[in-house]
Amino acid sequence: MSRANGRLHLWAFLQGIGFFPGGWRHAQATPEAVFDRAYYERMGRMVEAARFDAIVFGDQLQGRDAAGRTPGRLAIPTLDPFTLLSAMASVTEHVGLVATVSTTYNEPAEVAAKFAALDYVSQGRAGWNIVTTAHPNSPWNFGETELLEKSLRYKRAAAFVEAADVFWGTASGRKVDRAALDSDWFQIEDTLDFAAPPQGRPVLVQAGQSGDGRDFAAKTAEAIFCPAPTMEAGKAYRDDMRARVAELGRDPDGIKIMPGLALVIGGTEAEAHARHKAVLELADDVLCVEYLSESIGYDLTQHRLDGAFPIDDIVAHCEFPAGDVSKMLAPAVDAGTSIKDFCQAYARKPRGHGIFVGTPEQMADHMESWIDAGACDGFTLQPGFMPLELEVFCEEVVPLLQHRELLRRDYQGPTLRDHLGLGALA
Amino acid sequence: MYLSLSIDLAPGETGAEGFRSFTTRLRDIDAAAPDLVILGGERDGAVVPGRIEGLVNLPWVTGQIARAAVAAALPALHGLPFHVARALSAIDFVSGGRAGWMPVCANHDAIDRAYGAAYAIADGDAPAKYDDFIRATQALWDSWDQDALIIDKARGDYLDSAKVRRVEYRGPYFATMGPLNAARPPQGYPLLVRDLADLSSASDLPADIALLDVESVAEAEATIVRLRQAPGTAGAVILLKTGGAFALEAAMQVAGADGVHLTGLPDARTVAAARAMLPATPESDGTARARFGLAMPTNPFTQKALV
Repeated sequence: MSRANGRLHLWAFLQGIGFFPGGWRHAQATPEAVFDRAYYERMGRMVEAARFDAIVFGDQLQGRDAAGRTPGRLAIPTLDPFTLLSAMASVTEHVGLVATVSTTYNEPAEVAAKFAALDYVSQGRAGWNIVTTAHPNSPWNFGETELLEKSLRYKRAAAFVEAADVFWGTASGRKVDRAALDSDWFQIEDTLDFAAPPQGRPVLVQAGQSGDGRDFAAKTAEAIFCPAPTMEAGKAYRDDMRARVAELGRDPDGIKIMPGLALVIGGTEAEAHARHKAVLELADDVLCVEYLSESIGYDLTQHRLDGAFPIDDIVAHCEFPAGDVSKMLAPAVDAGTSIKDFCQAYARKPRGHGIFVGTPEQMADHMESWIDAGACDGFTLQPGFMPLELEVFCEEVVPLLQHRELLRRDYQGPTLRDHLGLGALA
Repeated sequence: MYLSLSIDLAPGETGAEGFRSFTTRLRDIDAAAPDLVILGGERDGAVVPGRIEGLVNLPWVTGQIARAAVAAALPALHGLPFHVARALSAIDFVSGGRAGWMPVCANHDAIDRAYGAAYAIADGDAPAKYDDFIRATQALWDSWDQDALIIDKARGDYLDSAKVRRVEYRGPYFATMGPLNAARPPQGYPLLVRDLADLSSASDLPADIALLDVESVAEAEATIVRLRQAPGTAGAVILLKTGGAFALEAAMQVAGADGVHLTGLPDARTVAAARAMLPATPESDGTARARFGLAMPTNPFTQKALV
């Protein structure tokens, strides 16, 4: 990659109101704005001015309720990613736009048409974060009752991506093997007439963690969004993925490892820690209990919060696999920890991602040290709450990264493939 | 009288130059002040899904077309209600309540082939699946009350849990549990646009806007009288298709017509000329429902239609 494109890649994960479950309550958070076009336009322009590669939105295919009760204290509505990225495309010219879309409850024709549309209206900036769906409530929204077994989900995902690529290749005049239209999973007779995607197809992004997931990512992905709580964990993951990619005859530099990183920045270290503490304290007991309830598919709010977990009832009625839930709650059950104390601790470190707390200078040091150690190719930033934490990063950390020549000062091309240094499709 | 048209990417609008041409065309059409823009193509006189997928295109288009209602033509027999309901909720929010949807059966054979063998359907079964698709999607919007969101930072109350529910929709083709992971759209339901030339015309589902093919003033007036008695169109805004067998001047003579839909994917000059000829419609900066004088739908779970 050219030096002008920088060694550090930045993605902005702008889901909902930010990383911390209680962050929406912060005095400077704007929870109503997540329903407004103007907010997304402003975020898109800001991230583009800061020369990020891309904006990413996650997605789910189920309501956020636990056994039928939707939480009242969590800021849950997260809007459809295609919609938000398409709106952002109308006011930006460079920043990449990555939508999370499942291969489990979708069809290749529809997903291919949608990404071709996003790539067209953004003129070559679309990326697809390919996921499979494992939430036990999702099948019920699609007329089914059982989830696909995990290895089958990945087999379907592989066949899905290959079939979708035939649609894109056909539309853009790229050579493709039409045999992928007829597989164990799909019996497709013809492709659709849609506008050619300027990149040929979206950049393929994955988030594989398990063995099946890593194999799929090694074969398919051009970038990976993953958790990496420590530098060592990041390096182990990146080394493993690069080895798997090389084994398949692909260039290890053709896959960018982009671990999630939450951030809370302060003018001094003490100020940053005070901000972190303050945002954690906004998550009151009921909010934290709702947060864990959603994660196990069991409504804990109906029990005394200072009491012990009713583990027998939970195991009998939780919507997630009982074995997984028992394992997750075992430390609390064994130690007799109360529901609220365990939930408070659980909500402090959401989703296993690293959390950076410190000054702008320290954050630049942190990022540089990970890059130098080969622990990642960049970061998928998850602001503690929106929009303030992202604004602070763009204003105070980005200039430091540019001064250190880690981050590009200007885009080196118009497409997401350009930002990732991927080169044109063969 | 209301003015409507369809827009689709022309086959020649490829590459960066084609994109600029498409963008300019949209802005010129916006300047001609139509009331409704349908994102879709035309085949054999019927509206078909466009060459840029409608639900992804719509949020981008509403960045170019600032005032008109914008509806996406979608395959009615292939989409999944959960995805469509989720997308249209977000689209209605980011377009300021200007969103509409137009599920169509037209051209379904070609789309069947792209979705695969399991999607093949006989023409005779299409209206029932169309009906079920729309009912399931609307049921998911009903999984949230219009006033479910509270967003009180000081109290920590984000929403009222009692106002979000599983709907357990079960139909002949679709089943969906809910709740939707998206709030009820600002318009309750985005505008439902129907082409009465489509296979789906056998459906009785209430449309917000209906496009009608006629060949004479007398036929138009007689048909409108009949449509005003039919459950699917009694309360609909009825737009006469013009530009083919039926001229704009003739449409202006039809008693009971609410407006016209210009066929033939017209350019901005044609739209502006039509606008200049037609009786003016009130200026509207509000939602699509407000523009067309359509009531908010009632949520069957609460029997309320909050404005």
